[in-house]
Amino acid sequence: MNSKYLSDKTVESVLAADRDVSNEISDEGNVLVATAPYQAEFPYERDDEAQVTRREFCNFLFLTSSALFLGSAGFAGKLAYNASFEPDFTPLKIAGADSLAPGTALNFHYPEEKDSAILIRAADGKYYAFDQKCTHLTCPVYYAKDQDQLECPCHEGGFDVHTGNVLYGPPPRPLDQIQIEVRQGDEIWAIGKITGGGHESA
Amino acid sequence: MNQLRERDKQPDERHLTRGRAAIWQARLVLLVMINIAQLWILSATIEAALAAHYKQLVPLIVASGVCWVIALTIFLWWKPSERQSRGPERH
Repeated sequence: MNSKYLSDKTVESVLAADRDVSNEISDEGNVLVATAPYQAEFPYERDDEAQVTRREFCNFLFLTSSALFLGSAGFAGKLAYNASFEPDFTPLKIAGADSLAPGTALNFHYPEEKDSAILIRAADGKYYAFDQKCTHLTCPVYYAKDQDQLECPCHEGGFDVHTGNVLYGPPPRPLDQIQIEVRQGDEIWAIGKITGGGHESA
Repeated sequence: MNQLRERDKQPDERHLTRGRAAIWQARLVLLVMINIAQLWILSATIEAALAAHYKQLVPLIVASGVCWVIALTIFLWWKPSERQSRGPERH
């Protein structure tokens, strides 16, 4: 075997040199000088490049990893916890629905004030109501009269105006449907909500 | 200054220092890769949660946790050894 062993003195001197290096601001020896035009436009202190040691950067990366883990768990936990509560579907009269012309839509809030919903009167005169949150990333959908469909402007998702089913785009499931009822001839009431595509238990 | 120090070292010393530097670089690269994976997992978690696909959340959180444990082991234990283990001195 041709391995070469080091003397105590050699090892000590190397470790001492390493300690000296790690105690310095940085062990980077070839920091570039700011010469390019874009560097002149943004007067970034090139000496600052050497202010972060590998050790500090490792610490930062580990803290970032911890934050990402906690963020994932916290976000998922909070949404799943919120979804475990069934809201109270108190019947609500949708104001202004009686004067809605065919091929138009109006927004309302149901079942709570923070839950935005959309009521559509299709060209055939029938009413349809949906939760306005896109099932992809909860952007608000709007009624596109020309195409007679609901569209999400964020990622170009499309939904059928009669069923809430996905026509195209990234949404993974149909829109949540608001159950409506016609009372006293022309009053439109929201009476409940059906989760599109079936509800998964939290 | 560092270049001077590097030049003055014996070949064995340079080899040892470069080895330690390589380990530090490897730690950094691994941690960066783990961070990127966790970013992807976070975005997938957000998408699944907003789409009410709650059954996908547990595996995603477990995956993020595994990444974090690996990062923890790199952070705590995968370091250059403080002292070189040596055999008998040869003359």
